[in-house]
Amino acid sequence: MRISDLLKLALRNLLRRKARTALTVIGMVIGTISIVVMVSIGIGVNRSFDEAIMQNGSMTMIQVQKYGIIYDEDGNFVDEKEQMLDDSVVELLKGIDHVRAVSPVISTYAELYSGKFEKGVNVMAMDSESFEAFGFPPLAYGSYPTKENPSTVVMGTETMKYFYNFSGRNFEEKDVDPLTEEVTMKFRQYQTHPRKKEFEMELKDFAMMEETDNYEYCYNFYMDIDYFREIWQKYANTLTLEERKRAMSVLDSYEEIRINVDNIDNVTEVQEAIKALGYAAYSEMQFMEPIKEASNMIQLGLGVIGSIAMLVSAINIANTMVMSIYERTKEIGIMKVLGCLVRDIKRQFLLEAGLLGLLGGIIGILISYVLSFLINKYGSGIMGSLVGMETTGKLSVIPFWLPFAAAAFGMLIGVLSGYFPARRATRIRAIEAMKTEG
Amino acid sequence: MEKEPEKIIELVNVKKIYRMGNEKIYAVDDVSFDIKKGEFCCLLGTSGSGKSTLLNLMAGIEKATSGQIIIKGKDIPKMNENNLARFRQRYLGFVFQAYNLINSMTALENVEFPLVFKRIAPKKRKKLAKDMLAQVGLGSRLMHKPKEMSGGQQQRVGIARAFVAKPEIVFADEPTGNLDTKTTIEVMELIKRMARENQQTIVMVTHDRSLAAYADKVIHILDGKIQSIEITDRASSEDMQVRLKEVSKKLLLDRGGEQVSTET
Repeated sequence: MRISDLLKLALRNLLRRKARTALTVIGMVIGTISIVVMVSIGIGVNRSFDEAIMQNGSMTMIQVQKYGIIYDEDGNFVDEKEQMLDDSVVELLKGIDHVRAVSPVISTYAELYSGKFEKGVNVMAMDSESFEAFGFPPLAYGSYPTKENPSTVVMGTETMKYFYNFSGRNFEEKDVDPLTEEVTMKFRQYQTHPRKKEFEMELKDFAMMEETDNYEYCYNFYMDIDYFREIWQKYANTLTLEERKRAMSVLDSYEEIRINVDNIDNVTEVQEAIKALGYAAYSEMQFMEPIKEASNMIQLGLGVIGSIAMLVSAINIANTMVMSIYERTKEIGIMKVLGCLVRDIKRQFLLEAGLLGLLGGIIGILISYVLSFLINKYGSGIMGSLVGMETTGKLSVIPFWLPFAAAAFGMLIGVLSGYFPARRATRIRAIEAMKTEG
Repeated sequence: MEKEPEKIIELVNVKKIYRMGNEKIYAVDDVSFDIKKGEFCCLLGTSGSGKSTLLNLMAGIEKATSGQIIIKGKDIPKMNENNLARFRQRYLGFVFQAYNLINSMTALENVEFPLVFKRIAPKKRKKLAKDMLAQVGLGSRLMHKPKEMSGGQQQRVGIARAFVAKPEIVFADEPTGNLDTKTTIEVMELIKRMARENQQTIVMVTHDRSLAAYADKVIHILDGKIQSIEITDRASSEDMQVRLKEVSKKLLLDRGGEQVSTET
């Protein structure tokens, strides 16, 4: 038989029993809705987790800190140890596979002054060549320091905000625009030599970061580590002899070493390698794992609920097809005697079942889109409590492949559940079939 | 001299045995005969004689237990289901006692149906089906469903369906079994006429002795065995007409009172 004839016959047979066809399709619609909506919620939850975590810092970063914390497998604190971090450790870490960049970090505190206004800021000195690898955000103006031109200070967006005037009566505050206002930086951790002028440095060569979700970049100054050594040396020269020694020790032993891994999937592996070298390491990833697992469990649970509804619809289709074959036993017998190929009889029933599945699938998808919209509109409050953090994410996300997958799945379910009834139809013996009423 | 027509159907020692518990039932018991091309052959027997089983064996609807059934040079019991289906599409037509039309389809669609299996284009097959229905005198009832037609009309649709693909052989199983006498004559005339027009071979099963008069060859069957084979000489067409008229008369008398006929 021609495909067009098969299709015509299948449609005609479906229309012959309108109520039954409608009920079967409705069953399929419900099955499709439950699976699409459940999967979309699963995806939505997962995405919100990802977003929430991305805000906390780069996922490909591993930190080895001076005061390393040792965690157990579930991410619980076990112990703390002090580890000596110097250039030899940096070189050691560079040798690990999948490591893209390693940078020592000197972290210190500086005070900023602009007229009567002042504020404190964290200064992070890192290898300027590694900035790109660590995914530093783009700059609003200026450019990142390089080895040739290392003197640029990169400012986080929040660092120029909320300067306070402590001498004023009303505790005035203001935002400073470094492009138009003069800003000077001082270090004040150590005691200045009484006969020497206090160290201060006017910020002339600077760059400003663009706004970013990753708050780590917002509150810090970033400098090239070599340039920092230079100015720190100058600062140290202004200190008392005793204090100078202490200040210089900051340069010898790093506060932290940061490692950038080439791919998010390799983070755990690299972290294990670092541990094997005897250093306690920390990454966001180690906290991600259990969260990810929980999120996957939610997704799995939702998927199972959806699948059960789908299974029921599949049984429904099979039932409809079995009934249909009983009713049409005589017709099948006649078709066989008239020379209809067994293959065509089978195809006809599979096509009918497939059409039921496809039709239910398509209607189900359309309704799912409406439901998904409503869930996102009215259900986002639930999201916060579900994830345990504020997110801007949607509760239900239908990715572009989901409707196609659902429609194909619906058709597949139809065909599969039509298969055994169809095979049964082909086994009907012509003579007996023709003797039945119908 | 006229050339002997070829054998289109040939049965050699055909047996069909059913098992009922421990008992063997010989529905068809060692039957051999042949049918020539263009012949009108009648299998005559009482009910339970095995005549219908024999027809089913020939049509490949049932499988013979042993023996050969050769139609158009092919051994039917040895064919697989697929080849049998194709074989039926090409060479066989069927007329049934219970018409066996598909109730959800119109007369036209019913007649079209065998052509659908043959993958004939919709336009062409519609035209063929229409022509065929016109030939059986139902040109005005194309869109009627079987339930809206009389038994005679339904059987005409059945005949149109059997002949539409121009099969070389048409099997008819008690084609008039459900019809009254007048309609029986009409239907038999129709089958006879159609078959003659296209040189088609007819194999008809019946228990009605009077219908045997339409046949060129009558095979009497009893308890699964051939009792006798009776060959009617091929008379001139004029003779035939006379003979058939007589048959018609006899039919009406035999079944007298069944219907008030306007003729005779």
